[in-house]
Amino acid sequence: MRYESQRVAYPYFVVALLLFGLQLVLGLWLAFNYFFTVPQAIVDVFPFATARAMHTNLLVLWLLLGFMGATFYAIPEETGSELAWPRLAIVQLVILVAVGVVALVGFLFGWTQGRPLLEIPRPLDLFVVAGVLMFLANVGVTIMRARRFTATQGSLLAGLVFLAVLYLFGIPFYRNLAVDWYYWWWVIHLWVEGAWELVTAALVAFMVIQLTGVERRVVERWLYVELGLFLFTGIAGTGHHYYWVAAPKYWLWVGGVFSSLEPLPIALMLLDTWRHMREARRPLRPRLTWVFLFGMAVLHFIGAGAFGMAHTLPQINYYTHGSQVTVSHGHLAFYGAYALVNLSFFYFAIPRLKRFPSDEYRSTLGHWAFWVMSLSLLGMSLAFGVAGVLQSYLERVQGQPYMVAQQPIRFWMFVAFVHGIGVLAGAVMVIAHLLTLRPEPRVEPAAEGARAT
Amino acid sequence: MSDRMAKLIFWVGTLSSLALFLALTFDTHRNFDALTHADRIDERVVAGKRAFERHNCNDCHTILGFGGYYAPDLTRVYTRVGDETIRSRIERPEVVLAASYRKMPQQHVPPAEIVAMIAFFRWTSEIENGDWPPHDSEVRWKSSTRRLLAGAVMSPGAALVNQENCLACHALGDAGERTGPRLEYIGARRSPQYVAEYLADPQRFTPGTSMPGYGQLPEPQRRALAEFVATLASSRRETP
Ligand code: HEC
Ligand code: HEC
Ligand code: HEM
Ligand code: HEM
Ligand SMILES: [Fe+2]
Repeated sequence: MRYESQRVAYPYFVVALLLFGLQLVLGLWLAFNYFFTVPQAIVDVFPFATARAMHTNLLVLWLLLGFMGATFYAIPEETGSELAWPRLAIVQLVILVAVGVVALVGFLFGWTQGRPLLEIPRPLDLFVVAGVLMFLANVGVTIMRARRFTATQGSLLAGLVFLAVLYLFGIPFYRNLAVDWYYWWWVIHLWVEGAWELVTAALVAFMVIQLTGVERRVVERWLYVELGLFLFTGIAGTGHHYYWVAAPKYWLWVGGVFSSLEPLPIALMLLDTWRHMREARRPLRPRLTWVFLFGMAVLHFIGAGAFGMAHTLPQINYYTHGSQVTVSHGHLAFYGAYALVNLSFFYFAIPRLKRFPSDEYRSTLGHWAFWVMSLSLLGMSLAFGVAGVLQSYLERVQGQPYMVAQQPIRFWMFVAFVHGIGVLAGAVMVIAHLLTLRPEPRVEPAAEGARAT
Repeated sequence: MSDRMAKLIFWVGTLSSLALFLALTFDTHRNFDALTHADRIDERVVAGKRAFERHNCNDCHTILGFGGYYAPDLTRVYTRVGDETIRSRIERPEVVLAASYRKMPQQHVPPAEIVAMIAFFRWTSEIENGDWPPHDSEVRWKSSTRRLLAGAVMSPGAALVNQENCLACHALGDAGERTGPRLEYIGARRSPQYVAEYLADPQRFTPGTSMPGYGQLPEPQRRALAEFVATLASSRRETP
């Protein structure tokens, strides 16, 4: 940490971590609802629908807060200047957290926009927009004042602006259901397979440059290629959600062809990370930061690339669409890409924010946490996957009614639940570890060189 | 790879995909009205959509395959179960789903909103979306029924369906109404045993239903009806 204003990142990280924990508790409740018959009296006051809105909105909220904190950390270093208005960053955090709390309590009382993942009621959307405008202004003005532009910074800012603009398409009420879903995907798909990938690629490039000492020019050249491929495949790839929304038939082709190419940029990101690791001019320390960073590259590819590819062709999607197959992919992709990139960044930034003597920190608990959480999550996604394949076969191929086909699936949701407990346990370890991070008592010789500038 | 090349890939890739996407968006809008029968979207349908959102139904039920996966997809719920079943599920879920292993909340939805939602589901059921979901495909139901009826005109069950006028409320093949569930859908959930008992006293199973009781029919006739209704399903349910 070289700039005082980078400190504003820390409260963002803390809030993000706490929301992550809460998100998982609600996830467990959701899975529980699948295999256990919850009595009518409880369903009446706290139905699955409410819990699902909370689970998914908490997810989006903590990931975005993490991205914002990471941006506040990265931008001063990239521009070589203090943040324009550090206090505004705190005001913005307060506003966004307040919106989050009001929204969650509102859900409990049935105050909702009622569209999956976009449940935040419209009046609150105005505050979201206000918070995001503050954020963009803060970052934008910092960059303008410093007059130092880098590709990493550009990618980060472009991703964030793109993200904010897309959110606007989710706000209006649409009279026609098909048009509604058409623009719903502008938010959801173009976020996770467009804007957020830009942000992720930028954060990874930033960390790689700092941690490996590989020349910025080399990293950023590949960053351009990654971004170009992400947007080339991702934008038109939105079509893989337009197969069954009463849109014209050509989406079967456009969606199928472009989205089948979407794993390429993800593979390239994995390859680049791997290559830069091998070309590193410094030892790859601290190890745990690298475990998270490389784990992210691998699970991003498996969850988004491989699991996404598996159901993206219309011939397959006809049978798997809107089943637990989607849930399986959704979990592994969101975790592998966005939960892990955030956690990697936290591990990268927190020792620096706390000005540890070297960047080394005590990491035993963190190693356990990573493996317990990631393996459990993988197991959970596989369980959702088995449930999904069963559902696709029994319901869509054989033609069994939904409730009949769900019967055998309940067992697999139980398996998912058991793994979910592991995910929660691992996450609690990560949260505890990150919030109480301590410097390594003895500085090893190897760590000397790892001190990033 | 040179820096210039990398930047070129970025700009050409991004802009070409964006241009294609925006052009197709424009064209899709020109087609939506016909594919969704937008002329049938009246104020009641819109009110139904608002009510559907207000009660957050979509976080348990998918529609067009999007949303929560916890409950049956509602894209073609109107063709599948008809308006009265939709009504009874929303109005008194605690009664009609009492035996189910998965519950739906009693949300005290005002009657006007229920009517509007039924109109909304009816409109949704008619959109042309590539015949998804596959298990609710009317095309498949109708053709299998046509084949079956061609060979079973003389079956006593088929004759009774005509005689008792079940099609005044239920759909079958190309014929019938949509007050109750499509007959092809019933046997996939219910055993012949269940159907026979249901016919004798529907109020026992779905209190308040407008489905008449057929307790006056002799038992063998109810069995024949039940057997026939059950065989219509593509996947049969033997145990209740
Ligand atoms: C807590 C989750 C939940 C919520 C919220 C919910 N439902 Fe349901 N609904 C269910 C379940 C579960 C079933 C299936 C029960 C069964 O058939 O055994 C069901 C069944 C139905 C059915 C009958 C479908 C069929 O094919 O038999 C309709 C129609 C329906 N719901 C409409 C609605 C509407 C409209 C709303 C919003 C006002 C709503 N539901 C809210 C869980 C929910
Ligand atoms: C006046 C309209 C009407 C007539 C006539 C009628 N039904 Fe029904 N039927 C319904 C309605 C409405 C339901 C749905 C009740 C509910 O679920 O709330 C129903 C439900 C059923 C069910 C139960 C479906 C299930 O899965 O629970 C069966 C079986 C059935 N009808 C068979 C028949 C047969 C066979 C005939 C002719 C002998 C017949 N019905 C005549 C309106 C009618
Ligand atoms: C990190 C990136 C990604 C994330 C976080 C992600 C997440 C998700 C989520 C949450 C859904 C479910 C949305 C809903 O209906 O509620 C979804 C659906 C889908 N995703 Fe992804 N995804 C990613 C990348 C990809 C990629 C690269 C592909 C294709 C190669 C892909 C293919 C699909 C498909 C086909 C669906 C629709 C499933 C259906 O029909 O129900 N995804 N994704
Ligand atoms: C304790 C572990 C978890 C459990 C048991 C769990 C369980 C669930 C369940 C049961 C659903 C509902 C699916 C449905 O509608 O049927 C769901 C939805 C979802 N969860 Fe989780 N979850 C957990 C952790 C996570 C994590 C770590 C993430 C992301 C990083 C995540 C992201 C999501 C998303 C994106 C959805 C919406 C999926 C879709 O629309 O397809 N969950 N979760
Ligand atoms: Fe997508």
